[in-house]
Amino acid sequence: MSDGRTGFARLRYVPAVLAGKLARVATRLRGGGSAFPGYLTNKLAPSLLPDIARGFPLGVVFVLGSNGKTTTTHMVSEVLRAHGLTVFTNPTGANLPQGITSALLADGTITGRVRADVAVLEVDEAFAADLADILSPSVVLSLNVQVDQLYRFFETERVADMMLDTSTRATGGVIVNRDDPYLSKIDPATLKAPVTYFGVAPEILNRSAHGLANAMDTRSGVAGTEGLEAQAEVVEIAGNTVTVDLEGERAVVKTPARGLHYAADAAAALATARQVLGDAFRLDAAARGFAAMKPAYGRGELLPLRAEGDEQVEFVMFKNGPSLQLNLDALDTAPERLLLAIDEGTPDVSWLYDVDFDAFDHVDVITGDKAYQLATRIAYAGIPIGVVEPDMEKAVALMRAFPRTAEGRQTWFVNYELMMIGRRLLGHGDQEVARR
Amino acid sequence: MTARITIAQLYAELLGVTGDRGNVEVLRTRAERAGLSADVVLVDVGQDLPDADIVVIGNGPLSAMRGIVDDLRRHTTPLAAHIAAGRGLLAIGGGAELLGGEISLSTGGTLAGLGTLPFRTERRAQRRVGYLVADAAGMRLVGFEDHSSLWHLDDGIAPFALVAEGKGTSDLADGARGEGVRSGNAIALRMQGPVLPLNPALADLLLARAAAEHDVAYSSGDAHADLDAFAREARAAIEARARSKTYSTIGI
Ligand SMILES: [Zn+2]
Repeated sequence: MSDGRTGFARLRYVPAVLAGKLARVATRLRGGGSAFPGYLTNKLAPSLLPDIARGFPLGVVFVLGSNGKTTTTHMVSEVLRAHGLTVFTNPTGANLPQGITSALLADGTITGRVRADVAVLEVDEAFAADLADILSPSVVLSLNVQVDQLYRFFETERVADMMLDTSTRATGGVIVNRDDPYLSKIDPATLKAPVTYFGVAPEILNRSAHGLANAMDTRSGVAGTEGLEAQAEVVEIAGNTVTVDLEGERAVVKTPARGLHYAADAAAALATARQVLGDAFRLDAAARGFAAMKPAYGRGELLPLRAEGDEQVEFVMFKNGPSLQLNLDALDTAPERLLLAIDEGTPDVSWLYDVDFDAFDHVDVITGDKAYQLATRIAYAGIPIGVVEPDMEKAVALMRAFPRTAEGRQTWFVNYELMMIGRRLLGHGDQEVARR
Repeated sequence: MTARITIAQLYAELLGVTGDRGNVEVLRTRAERAGLSADVVLVDVGQDLPDADIVVIGNGPLSAMRGIVDDLRRHTTPLAAHIAAGRGLLAIGGGAELLGGEISLSTGGTLAGLGTLPFRTERRAQRRVGYLVADAAGMRLVGFEDHSSLWHLDDGIAPFALVAEGKGTSDLADGARGEGVRSGNAIALRMQGPVLPLNPALADLLLARAAAEHDVAYSSGDAHADLDAFAREARAAIEARARSKTYSTIGI
């Protein structure tokens, strides 16, 4: 709870913080990225960040995982806010150290104080342990380990180790996925803080088409999980209404989009909020927090297809095979009018052949730099294809030229880069901003 | 008379992390569209190798390679006989390296392969990631590579393909580079994951050999036209990208 330093001592941070803030303004004017100001301030005052982190009375929460970091960070933040807390969180995607530093500076006073009760940070796995040494998180939440970005991480188990290693730094609580083969094998003896498990009831997993699509454990000799008890367990899913059993208490919450992964994220967020709040945690406030969530970009978001008329586009964003599979599994029926889009923002697309596309009965337009690689995959899956048009702008024109769908909605499955371009082409090109 | 072609995929889960089942799917689909029937047999730990026309083994992490290598060793003699008989085999990434000789690891230590294919592997620190274009006899291979392996080919053995763009698996004289190795109709590559969808000629080479074994002819034609048209455009896009001055392999 302590400030760590007197107000007077904090004055020594003023030059560094001012330099960072000025650099931030300059960077903004140039229209560039936000990494440089954070770098500058870090250089000028290396003890500033640990000091800012100590200033959050309820500590710092790290959210890690191959998939669902952004959504879950958002869920945890809103649940905490619904309990009356002021929450600092990093903008979507700014999950590298310099991005987090820049975000902290932007919200800070010139003496390097961030006026919030708690910080909830989405953190890139590769930097999480180092950042934990600086920010001393009280709670570390690890969502899942999926086969993802092998061009960056080489082997999936390395990603698991990054999360497990970061968990050893947590001082208050470690939250992990009971249904993730690697994470469920966390060794509590290596930790300073107690472990809380979240999960999805086995009956629900068993009747889903592909489960949670987490990576198989290739090293311990036990490829799957070991049937641990979960203190936060999804026991019912009806559309986007999810019931989570919290050791006898039942939270009923609405997720921003449908799908097993969002349900698991909700259980994770509830377990994390309960860890932060302790006895102050309330079911009704938790439900209010979920209800306050606006859909994030590409996660159940609807945008108008045309300037006239009421037809909408539902964006479904995928970043890797598992996230695409979970979004496919969440469909009730095959989309009536479907666009698929993928570009070089997704370097290796080998995983397209690990995805089961049976949930589609046809695809209207395939677009992006990698349109023909995707079309080849869809053709081998035996799914009829309307048009392949690598140019996204032309593809959007094609989608707009179709007659109105019966359900008044088109479905666009897109990777992150083409989601941003697609939004801009539909006239919603505003930058993704901080979750405030 | 219809021929039944048997395709065996080894360790589809543990050695199948980069879309390797796509190669099996392509062989099956193309065989069926050519009027042949195809059986896919998944061979896991503890199971016997069936009498297969084509064997497929894919890519996996080092831990998975360590986990299955002793089981794979049971198949050393039948796999050597399969290759010696000129039957088809497609080995990718980690699975391919287990069929070669010793694998020396970047962290020190070694892993003993089966020695059925004429090369050994040196795993290095530096990663090679990005599009790969390489020319084999009469065939241009197009795909993606993501590895840190240098393959040392046995004396007198040439690489399967010469690299046009990208890095490949082996250093050759005068700075040239090679990709993969071929022994009879066994083809080992680091070009990863679903190689066959982008390289139908390579799939057809394996299928034609398998069909001949059953005294029938295999050829691709109208029934494959849509698949091959998409693959042709995908290959052209990759080649253009790999050649362009602004493209560099992925920075990590
Ligand atoms: Zn349609």
